[in-house]
Amino acid sequence: MAVTKVSDGAVPDGLGRARSGIGRKSADLVARWSFLMPSIVVLTVMLAYPIYYTIEISFASFDLSTFSAGEWVGWANYEEAIGDYRFWDSLKVTLVYLVIALPLQVTLGFGIAFLINAEWWGRSALRALFIIPMVVAPVVAGGMWRMILDPLWGVMNYWLGLVGIGPLDWFGDPTLAMAAVIMIDTWRWTPFIVLIATAALLALPKDVFEAAKIDGANWWSTLWSVALPLLVPIIAATFVIRWLGAVKMFDIVLAATYGGPGKATSVVNLFIYEEAFRSLRFAESAAMAVIVLALTMILTGFFLYGSRKLEELF
Amino acid sequence: MNARSGLSYKNKSVLGHRVRILAGIVVSIVFLFPIYWMVLTSFKQQVDIFTNPPRFLFTPTIATYVEYMKRADILARIVNTIIVASSSALFSMVVGTMAGYALARIRLKGAQTVGLLILLSRGVPPIALAVPMFLVARKLGLTDKHITLILAYSTFLIPYVMWLMRSFFLSLPKELEESAMIDGCSRYGAFFKIILPISLPGLLSTLIFSMILAWEELLFALVLTNRHASTIPVAIAGIAGDSVNGANWGALTAVGTITVVPVVVFALLVQKWLIKGLADGATKG
Repeated sequence: MAVTKVSDGAVPDGLGRARSGIGRKSADLVARWSFLMPSIVVLTVMLAYPIYYTIEISFASFDLSTFSAGEWVGWANYEEAIGDYRFWDSLKVTLVYLVIALPLQVTLGFGIAFLINAEWWGRSALRALFIIPMVVAPVVAGGMWRMILDPLWGVMNYWLGLVGIGPLDWFGDPTLAMAAVIMIDTWRWTPFIVLIATAALLALPKDVFEAAKIDGANWWSTLWSVALPLLVPIIAATFVIRWLGAVKMFDIVLAATYGGPGKATSVVNLFIYEEAFRSLRFAESAAMAVIVLALTMILTGFFLYGSRKLEELF
Repeated sequence: MNARSGLSYKNKSVLGHRVRILAGIVVSIVFLFPIYWMVLTSFKQQVDIFTNPPRFLFTPTIATYVEYMKRADILARIVNTIIVASSSALFSMVVGTMAGYALARIRLKGAQTVGLLILLSRGVPPIALAVPMFLVARKLGLTDKHITLILAYSTFLIPYVMWLMRSFFLSLPKELEESAMIDGCSRYGAFFKIILPISLPGLLSTLIFSMILAWEELLFALVLTNRHASTIPVAIAGIAGDSVNGANWGALTAVGTITVVPVVVFALLVQKWLIKGLADGATKG
């Protein structure tokens, strides 16, 4: 390093910014941006432009004969979307799903991680097995659980019957259908949280727990005042990651209940999908998509900010 | 466990440990049962599927597989899914890894904003993209083509790769490129000759996760394809949602098994990297 400094007078600040002449500088600038440029180009064309196009359609009438946006209609599509009680219902369904599923999965994930990380010879095998549900396609998960929960032939109702429960009409009753969707989603996603939680638990400093033990702390106060504060940042991060996946909820519902019975499990993504591609109401569904996009962005920003703040606090 | 601790404490602790192991095993069985049941059902005859009580013992048959392979376009769909999943994953790896490197290591004006935008884009609901993509693809005559799906998948794969690789590159010591560039390596030389080779574990786990994500994708495939480029998840959604004949459980479980087993085998083979990549991505974000 010292040798370089003497030889050409450049200031190697770790990023190799050589200040020798305008030409080299601009060439370096091009080289630096060239790393980021491909992704900017692809995402502008494939991500930013479609979002812009959705917004455009949402303010226009949609001409089904030419299959493109027609004349400007102002806020009419938004008024229609906001006035549509089915849209509100689907938002409510989504909210119920998120409010129950996210805390449930994060709590279960960390709890199970604690269980499967007990030290014994089968530990790494258990950990590996927990990868399996995580790589099952959500649409397959929905399909196979539909079979397991079948009211007549399903193995779940058979077992529940053995202990005197049921038969439960999993897909005929609105509350049970929602429970089924949350159960399937939890089955599919909890293993993912288990693996993150495992890494977090293994990274905990051991000496703090030894100290707590020597001080005679019981397991509850060890968990509550020692482990939890240490885990808060990673729990927050896990929550954000899971949130980013959960707002996209579509496949499992489509395969397991198709939003039924009635619209009891019709999450907003499925509702908009139906409006656009079954009812061909592209303008209205574009307005709904923009509303959902805005809500998601605001909440994502809020959660990211919140998790950063938590990280600073703990 | 600890020889110095008192006898009563020791017994209590051993018991607690045993309960913990047992509970862990029970939970694992609960989580694995649905997959076991799916694979089992796929080898049943129709008469063995619809029974009460459910049958665990039966004469296995591969009739469902044979029948469904003949009747439907399932082989073409498998090929399509392989083409789309591997191309979109590779494409996104190239583009996303470079972007991740830029965000982790190269000082650029405005790059932080770009990075934040790309991160936020992971929260974009795909339905907000599916509608316009369908309309544009239809206008340009690009529906039902592999390239359309490959590009559509890059919208969620690139941000994903970028984010994972960024955190991976952040974990590498800075001195690596510094010394390489001082030795006369260009920025690209340092990236390709020094950084990429030692990032191989991170690259592999990210690639595998990307392929799995693309392999499983449903919404874009449902919207952007109908015959020639259609994928397996679409077929499964079709079988599961067949309200006319009711779900054909034999077909559902057979196609489900075909979809899941290769991915599971693959994931178990590379589990060490998967776990590490996943943990790093979450903890070092």
